[in-house]
Amino acid sequence: MTLPSSLIQFSGHHYLRHRLVLSILSGKPIRIDKIRPDDKNPGLRDYEISLLRILEKATNGTIIEISVTGTALLLKPGIISGGPLTHECPLSRSVGYFLEPLIMLAPFAKRPFQLTLRGITTDDHDLSVDLIRTVTLPHLQLFGISDGLELRIKKRGSPPAGGGEVQFLCPIVKQVTTLNFVEPGKIKRIRGIAHAVRVSPQFSNRMIEASRSVLNRYIPDIYLYSDVYKGEDSGKSPGYALSLLAESTTSAIYCAEATSQPGVAPEDVALLATRSLLTEIGKGGCVDERHQTLVLLMMVLGSEDVGRCRMGEPTVRTIQFLRDVHSLFGTTFKIVPAESSGSSNQLMYSCYGTGYVNVNRSLA
Amino acid sequence: LDSSSSQRPRRRDWTKLIYSSDLTPDQILSSNKEEDSRESDAEVDEFFHIKKSDSTNDDEMLDQTKEPLNPEALQQWEDEEMLDSIRNLFITGASTGDADE
Repeated sequence: MTLPSSLIQFSGHHYLRHRLVLSILSGKPIRIDKIRPDDKNPGLRDYEISLLRILEKATNGTIIEISVTGTALLLKPGIISGGPLTHECPLSRSVGYFLEPLIMLAPFAKRPFQLTLRGITTDDHDLSVDLIRTVTLPHLQLFGISDGLELRIKKRGSPPAGGGEVQFLCPIVKQVTTLNFVEPGKIKRIRGIAHAVRVSPQFSNRMIEASRSVLNRYIPDIYLYSDVYKGEDSGKSPGYALSLLAESTTSAIYCAEATSQPGVAPEDVALLATRSLLTEIGKGGCVDERHQTLVLLMMVLGSEDVGRCRMGEPTVRTIQFLRDVHSLFGTTFKIVPAESSGSSNQLMYSCYGTGYVNVNRSLA
Repeated sequence: LDSSSSQRPRRRDWTKLIYSSDLTPDQILSSNKEEDSRESDAEVDEFFHIKKSDSTNDDEMLDQTKEPLNPEALQQWEDEEMLDSIRNLFITGASTGDADE
């Protein structure tokens, strides 16, 4: 049963999500050991177990073995089945933690995903549901994944008690198209979503006003929306946040957000989000740092042609991701300084797509 | 055309750094800033070694997508000049960046 030759070995709990995704997409089993071996509380965390559980539910025939101590795991991937699915996310992480890897898998499922996730919808660690809806999903459209792609925010849930609910609908594709995204363009519009649950609804307006005081100088096309959720739909804990995005003439999207902190006024939260957006705009490129791995993955899976994308320097996560892609798919990216980038550190990433075909897809 | 003379003589070979070096991702990015932060192991000749706590203490560096916001660094945007410096990235900004209404 064991095929040691094809088993790919990783160490440590870092980068767990993208390793699981790459294993499932490539169909290659992986073994991860030394998961927090020296920690006071060794092994997998509750949210990591929960992630494994949802991956098990979203696939068919996947075998996951976890050692007694929880410090090692073996994943033998099955096929991505998709379909209707409901999952309660633990309150230690937001639903973004779970959605990000599932978004990478969903287009290649047997049946379209209709995924309901419950838990925290906005926190400091992972992309909030607002950014996933307005920024991450449009990135999939670059690869021809668009019809029926939707994230519905049914209920909001702030930390610590959560209580939010989102529904993710994703179409399936046979193949993703090759990306050629080299022109960042210029910013033509800014959009934002402010929400405040279980606190004064004025907080949203105060955040919007503070953000506008900075952004109004740049362009007139600014629309910051106050998203109101009441009663049951506003979750179990108080909280507020501002999510912003700037879109360029070539549909490059930069995003930023800030969430409520104890003792921080809504105006200051808004300024953090706004200035963080300006920082992202200043970095330039066609794809922001948080979406590097998603875009690079889709480039690897693209049709057998050279895909190109202009981005900033790779993040720590991206560097490891590129190495793991190399071990599981054998794809190497060519990364060279982008021409005509002037003083910036922008790079051109290019690779030859693997021509990945969704063999799971059920034919009508 | 380029007014600023060679701001960085050494171009980094990212392809080589990523695919054919043993550096960890953190080391690759930190060597970007300072080169000589490595400590020599030679001076440690005690019988007992203090275990490098880098893997156990930083352990809860979460697998997270958003980098934590840094309010101090973001204060640079209080400066008007700084705010004007990215004006040319908007459709309304002139390409030279000196336009004002």
